[in-house]
Amino acid sequence: MTSMADLTRLHLSRSRRRFLQTSIAGLSGIALSSCGWTLAKVQTDQVRQGASDELHVYTWSNYVDQELIDAFRSQTGIKVISDVFDSNETMLATFQAGKARTYSIIYPSDYKVSQMVKLGYLSELDHSRLDGLQNILPRFQKSVHDSGNRFSVPVSWGTTGLIYNSEKLTEPPTDWNYLWTHKDKLTRRLTLMDDVREVIGAVLRSLGYSYNSTDPQQIKQAYEKLQELKPAITTFTTDAWRDQLLAGDLSIAMGYSADAVNVINQNPKLKYVIPTSGTSLWSDTMVIPKTAPNPDAAYAWLSFMLQPEVAARVTERLFFATPNEAAFNQLPDTLKNNVTLFPPQNLLDKAETVAPLDKSILELYEKYWTKLTSS
Amino acid sequence: MSTKAPSESRPIAPTPQWLQALLLLAPAGVWLALLLVIPTLLIFELSLVPNIKPGDLVNPSGLGNYWRIFQSDVLNVIGRSLLFATGTTLLCLLMGFPVAYWIALLSPKRWRNLLLLAFVLPLWTSSLLRSYAWISILRPTGVLNTLLTSLGLPTLDLLNRSPAVFIGMTYSLLPYMVLILYASLEKLDRRFLEAAADLGATPPQAFWKVTVPQTLPGIAAGSLLVFITGLGDFINPELLGGTSSMTAARLIYNQFLGATQNWGFGSALSMVLILAVSLAIALLIKYGDKNASSL
Amino acid sequence: MQAPSKSPLRISWQALFSVLMFGFMYLPILVLGFYSFNQSPNSAQWGGFTLSWYVKFFNDSRILSALSDSLTVAFCAVGISAIIGTLMAVGLARYRFPGKQLYQGASYLPLIIPDIAIAVSTLVFLAVIAVPLSLWTIVAAHTVFCLSYVAFVVSTRLVNLNPHLEEAAQDLGATPYQSLVRVLLPELMPAIVSGCLLAFVLSMDDFLIASFTAGGGATTLPMEIFSRIRTSVKPDINALSVVLMVASGAVALIAETIRYRSEKKRLQ
Repeated sequence: MTSMADLTRLHLSRSRRRFLQTSIAGLSGIALSSCGWTLAKVQTDQVRQGASDELHVYTWSNYVDQELIDAFRSQTGIKVISDVFDSNETMLATFQAGKARTYSIIYPSDYKVSQMVKLGYLSELDHSRLDGLQNILPRFQKSVHDSGNRFSVPVSWGTTGLIYNSEKLTEPPTDWNYLWTHKDKLTRRLTLMDDVREVIGAVLRSLGYSYNSTDPQQIKQAYEKLQELKPAITTFTTDAWRDQLLAGDLSIAMGYSADAVNVINQNPKLKYVIPTSGTSLWSDTMVIPKTAPNPDAAYAWLSFMLQPEVAARVTERLFFATPNEAAFNQLPDTLKNNVTLFPPQNLLDKAETVAPLDKSILELYEKYWTKLTSS
Repeated sequence: MSTKAPSESRPIAPTPQWLQALLLLAPAGVWLALLLVIPTLLIFELSLVPNIKPGDLVNPSGLGNYWRIFQSDVLNVIGRSLLFATGTTLLCLLMGFPVAYWIALLSPKRWRNLLLLAFVLPLWTSSLLRSYAWISILRPTGVLNTLLTSLGLPTLDLLNRSPAVFIGMTYSLLPYMVLILYASLEKLDRRFLEAAADLGATPPQAFWKVTVPQTLPGIAAGSLLVFITGLGDFINPELLGGTSSMTAARLIYNQFLGATQNWGFGSALSMVLILAVSLAIALLIKYGDKNASSL
Repeated sequence: MQAPSKSPLRISWQALFSVLMFGFMYLPILVLGFYSFNQSPNSAQWGGFTLSWYVKFFNDSRILSALSDSLTVAFCAVGISAIIGTLMAVGLARYRFPGKQLYQGASYLPLIIPDIAIAVSTLVFLAVIAVPLSLWTIVAAHTVFCLSYVAFVVSTRLVNLNPHLEEAAQDLGATPYQSLVRVLLPELMPAIVSGCLLAFVLSMDDFLIASFTAGGGATTLPMEIFSRIRTSVKPDINALSVVLMVASGAVALIAETIRYRSEKKRLQ
């Protein structure tokens, strides 16, 4: 293909180019550093106005389906395009990496909201443009992360647990430790979530510590316990386990309660269990970033999702628990009594919410997570 | 009448020539400078800032990011990338050489182009979809295992482990190897082989003493291409690998669009990757110069 | 390895091995095709013939819009790079100037730097100059490697070209522009076309660079497929694969026919 002459020229050009490159880099480094440019600063003051009949939504998998989009369109004429992320960290990273100007509605979890508020990314909600907020259950209105719903509107809540195939596992799991005690039976038929806070938190809980531990010793213990289990884990995945569990590739997976109800519906042999040592109680919210290209459509979406009928239909179709009391009352009894969707209070008492952590502690979590996934 | 020029490469001549050269070279040059050279310099600068996060001020302050590369978990990842790339290169060589040999030398002459095209055709379809197909084939309940079970054989646990990554990577890069080897083998002078046979060489002897030396540049070029592409592969380890399959590309990806968000470290890793690739090419050129006469 | 066999009945082991390798290359394609017509698309057992997944695919607005975004990016990037890449190759072949080594090195860079490094550096650059990401940032990023590939293919052809054609044309009174367009370009056309085809395939197939530079709702096909594989795969993806394969097979065959015909014409 390439002639030797070409490659020789390339080689010579490379050595010269390397010299020039390093010198230019050095010079430009000096020049640019004296300008002190900021890395990837999200420009919240420059907002680009987007198409008025388009709304870009950044959400979790299975929160927005075609029926919802069609219903919204027939009500307001606005077309919704939804993109999917699988963890809050990924969402924040892509937001900061340049996708900030794309989305008018984002679905962060409650604990991420306070971080985003601190970073100055979220616009304060004008409650006069939202009707239906009063239907939200009091405990979500006074959430510790965003009391008074100044920046976020809760849209769903649930727990994290283990979903397993009762046909394959004759002895049902009751706790996180089941994964370790039954490692041999579960090997290569087990997945954990691809979420640093959920996974490390769950292991911390199984050791008797808090989901939000700030003790480096405890976190290290959790890391070592995970390393023990690692050879048995097939992959770390937050969403893909659903298809695999249904196909029979897996015996057990760690997942969110909403996804659990979804797959159990498709295969009644699957069961969901909330570990007895405790789990995370999560809540997802809708926010409007300051860089939203279409805030009007965003408010329309929020009002739409707050409508009790809409929230009830969504729960019936997509199976995530609604924090909207009026919607809850409209649900059929089978769903109201579904323990997976709406666990009883005694189980909820044992659950912990994931809390925002200090930057240095977060880095410790990240460090161990990277060590775990790269070894 | 324009001036008569004596040779192909003209030295910088009066204005019309200068303007011609500028018109030809400026558009691409500007594009490359803006979107390739300057960005590379930028990430070089960024790599010199340890512990930077989005929103921080950029002040080149040291080689901390580069020292971090020598930590065991990062070396692990780099080592794994090298392992995948090297293994894939060897597999592609072993599997691609007979195919290229057959098409170039042993198949009916009329069909040669068609056969080559047919072999390379899968390249034209999306590599993501082909890797997805391998997921369907290698799953515990996939095509392969269903076939094995129906034959009464034990199932193979290949997906989400290194074997699947090797299969996927070899599959993606084999056509490139075959293409390059074919180009080299096509130019092989068969009279050498005939002469070797006349002089009493056995087929293996003829192969190692005649064919291989003659096609060494092709082998080197093909291996280099496969190695470099394999080193930076993201899709195959990501889709077909499991919990112990993180490669350099994925590690870099995580620094920007993943949980870690350390743009400085990601930039340092990218620079190292670029350096590794440049080194491989420099080695090829050094080795290739020795064999320049054989082309 | 033996010299070419004279007996038509002796099948070399290379031939058998090659048949095996052909099978290996087409296995995934056949599997996807199998699944695309299978009533039960997730099981490896045949559940009955159906075209419903194809119907679903043609009604899947997300996939279709991703496909259209990918095609837009590919056509624009290849269109731009066909022109400026060819010009660059001609310029580099003809002129010497200070800094030529530098320029040439830069033009080879996209061919050898791994995708992830290009993606990362482009992202950082766009972040620094505060350009909002959109479909056009993908086009800009893709043009970089497209023009390198086009220039590379064209330059290998230029080396084999008769260097005096343009001179002859200019001696006969053509302006430099005319000699470029009327004389050089037709000679280069096969190389430009094959360079463009190569660049087109690579642009359609790119995942990393698009992931890092896409914004404003633009999603390319590889991004959409990857996202689906990671979350939940709907069966119409198999139908998509078959459609893409048939389309690319057709394009490849047409390209090969054109090349074959032009070779024959050239040799006449």
